[in-house]
Amino acid sequence: MVQLRPRASRTPASAEAMVDEGQPTSEEEAEHGLLLGQPSSGAAAEPLEEDEEGDDEFDDEAPEELTFASAQAEAREEERRVRETVRRDKTLLKEKRKRREELFIEQKKRKLLPDIILEQLTTASQTGAKKSPGKLKVSLHKKREDCEKEKKVKVEKVQSVSQRSYVAVRLKDQDLRDARQQAAKAFIRDSLYGPGTNRTTVNKFLSLDNKRAPVKKAAAQFLNNAWGVQKKQNAKRFKRRWMVRRMKASKK
Amino acid sequence: MGEFKVHRVRFFNYVPPGIRCVAYNNQSNRLAVSRTDGTVEIYNLSANYFQEKFFPGHESRATEALCWAQGQRLFSAGLNGEILEYDLQALNIKYAMDAFGGPIWSMIASPSGSQLLIGCEDGSVKLFQITPDKIQFERNFDRQKSSAIRKMIVDRQYMSVSKRKCIVWGVAFLSDGTVISVDSAGKVQFWDSATGTLIKSHLIANADVQSIAVADQEDSFVVGTAEGTVFHFQLVSVTSNSTEKQWVRTKPFQHHTHDVRSVAHSPTALISGGTDTHLVIRPLMEKVEVKNYDAALRKITFPHRRLISCSKKKQLLLFQFAHHLELWRLGSTVATGKNGDTLPLSKNADHLLHLKTKGPENIICSSVSPCGSWIAYSTACRFFLYRLNYEHDNISLKRVSKMPAFLHSALQILFSEDSTKLFVASNQGCLHVIQLLEGSFKHLHTFQPQSGTVEAMCLLAVSPDGNWLAASGTSAGVHVYNVKHLKLHCTVPAYNFPVTALAIAPNTNYLVIAHSDQQVFEYSIPDKQYTEWSRNVQKQGLHHLWLQRDTPITHISFHPKRPMHILLHDAYMFCIIDKSLPLPNDKTVLYNPLPPKNESDVFRRRTAHAFKISKIYKPLLFLDLLDERTLVAVERPLDDIIAQLPPPIKKKKFGT
Repeated sequence: MVQLRPRASRTPASAEAMVDEGQPTSEEEAEHGLLLGQPSSGAAAEPLEEDEEGDDEFDDEAPEELTFASAQAEAREEERRVRETVRRDKTLLKEKRKRREELFIEQKKRKLLPDIILEQLTTASQTGAKKSPGKLKVSLHKKREDCEKEKKVKVEKVQSVSQRSYVAVRLKDQDLRDARQQAAKAFIRDSLYGPGTNRTTVNKFLSLDNKRAPVKKAAAQFLNNAWGVQKKQNAKRFKRRWMVRRMKASKK
Repeated sequence: MGEFKVHRVRFFNYVPPGIRCVAYNNQSNRLAVSRTDGTVEIYNLSANYFQEKFFPGHESRATEALCWAQGQRLFSAGLNGEILEYDLQALNIKYAMDAFGGPIWSMIASPSGSQLLIGCEDGSVKLFQITPDKIQFERNFDRQKSSAIRKMIVDRQYMSVSKRKCIVWGVAFLSDGTVISVDSAGKVQFWDSATGTLIKSHLIANADVQSIAVADQEDSFVVGTAEGTVFHFQLVSVTSNSTEKQWVRTKPFQHHTHDVRSVAHSPTALISGGTDTHLVIRPLMEKVEVKNYDAALRKITFPHRRLISCSKKKQLLLFQFAHHLELWRLGSTVATGKNGDTLPLSKNADHLLHLKTKGPENIICSSVSPCGSWIAYSTACRFFLYRLNYEHDNISLKRVSKMPAFLHSALQILFSEDSTKLFVASNQGCLHVIQLLEGSFKHLHTFQPQSGTVEAMCLLAVSPDGNWLAASGTSAGVHVYNVKHLKLHCTVPAYNFPVTALAIAPNTNYLVIAHSDQQVFEYSIPDKQYTEWSRNVQKQGLHHLWLQRDTPITHISFHPKRPMHILLHDAYMFCIIDKSLPLPNDKTVLYNPLPPKNESDVFRRRTAHAFKISKIYKPLLFLDLLDERTLVAVERPLDDIIAQLPPPIKKKKFGT
């Protein structure tokens, strides 16, 4: 927004609205905008609100005239101020970053073991490389969990890690992959067991022999043991409680 | 033999997952079978079709293709878009490589074995180079460039024919340019790849024909249908002395009840597997040289390892499922009866615990301690140990947290007899000994693998006095460790067939080993040599009917008061070997039921031999001695398994 000098123009609101959103680099443009704004503001000079008392006095006056030099000086001042703030911000950020880097380096140094132990580890590991890949995994896991142990081996330096203990994956890729896998499985399922295939239940399949025997027998799964499981359980519980009640009643 | 009360248990609701892919390796005569839950099993066809290795499944894996490449390397590809390579020594997955093409529908290895070709959902065919460590992406083919595709690609396409969409389930490309396709309309069609025309079409089924496999010599192929029928096609000359040949459908086999999702063609046999969970291996009579029992049909239905463990003191059974464990207490009875009576239960069997596993992986192994207060199980990444407390009739469970880092995946778990020690065989070949204390544990020792190779230890046995631990790997002999002094005591000499069951007898400390070719050895641990009885058995040889049994012995146990008895069982029989009786030779009757009491002594003596076999309880998943007078037999009738399978194709029969 253009920073307009507080001027009691005839229609201050409309003048501001007329001016461009982007910041003009020099005062000339702003002036130009204001100048432009005038005739239209004149055109849009509907009956003014009569709340401002001061307006009555300035109604007939022409707007103030600005000299070019003063406007230019003002513009230059603005620019300088803006440049100064930007430079200050940059230097502040640089300093902050530097400080943070130093802090990280210090922390890393603290976490690493002294070089002597690292050397010993390298020689030891080269002789028995295959002995305990499990230990490798453990140290990598612990590193990942960020626990506060003193002995933390920086494994990449000591041994080439043949087993990765973790893989970074994009979640979006994983969802896509899962979706495709599900679609493929659904395709197989539909083509084998979907509509249009000539499938029958296992019960009917197993009962074919029973039906063709000289003495016809019942179907293979004639009894449905899964029917009414809850009802049967409730009945059992009720019976137990009823028996207990009868016992108590008969004792009395 | 004695009288026993037998708990017949039928509430183990075991349903094996259906077979999805089958791949045959000619070099080592091994078969890789992948199931719908992601488990991959390796069967050694020359070791009496024994399942020697397996890789546990995973919920997100939906394997669609399995193939061997470069000799002994096994690859699988699935709908999650990844290619997995399996490490057959360490029994874990070497790596998973994402192919970035969406779900992978098919995969094949080049005849030289150095390249891998996969067909993806987005229509591209990708070529991978197999390097010694990994596989490397080489090229990407677009959908239409079929000239660059190598021979024998199995692919899946959509084709719109008439009203309903016809799905081509399998394609095989022969070296003379013929393309064979099987589709869901029940047709086997022969196409000419040069002109792109249909040569011949066979309508063989009313339902989908779902799989095809061509033999290496390209003179025969086998197709499997959704009705469970497997057809054999052969290239036969038109007349007896003409050179012109044509493809003729020769043999139908109906060994399955549900869809046959996958077939394989070895030089001498047709292998098929499908939704009904049976693996059927049908040797072809014309290809088999020696016509003996080896040429018979083999149907593998029940697992070759134990899924049930038992706590004898508290009469508990722990059932292992893919994603949960169930703990049951056996019922009890107060009635008595004669031989063959069914006694009514006074107290029903109790379902004490339903323990679900966390995470998408399947459970590899589980065990309950003999005292009943510890449960341990392991998945591919984690190990879980729980402490159980019994108050009156209630049970409370408490997890032992903070498992040690080296215990992340176990192939076998075993508790010692007094429940103070836990033995864990990890898949790196190490054997860990852990002492169990009141709420926690202490790591005592780790036995490292012997010769520097990573040998996965598959079976464990501990002696009842707690001094000896026997561990069998896949190829080395059985190692016997001294638990008190924590060192290796001796090694039983290696035998060329894998071990199927191990047990150490109480008091005498004889180690009894059963192999997949049905041989039984007895080794004396204190003396470090085979026992006299075992040498006699080897000298005389076992009865031919014993050696012709189909299923391996999965469990061996002993009677506490009778040291001369060994109790062992397989899926269709259980046997008590009485070492004091003479051994049967080939002329005696092996399966002799108990003769009636009023027969003469002479008759009894003639038929009495060491192997007392009973086939009353079958199919047996587990049988053990609970105490001196009680046995528990866990049966799983085949009908109960079939009742829980997906729906089969409708068969219209006259009169129904």
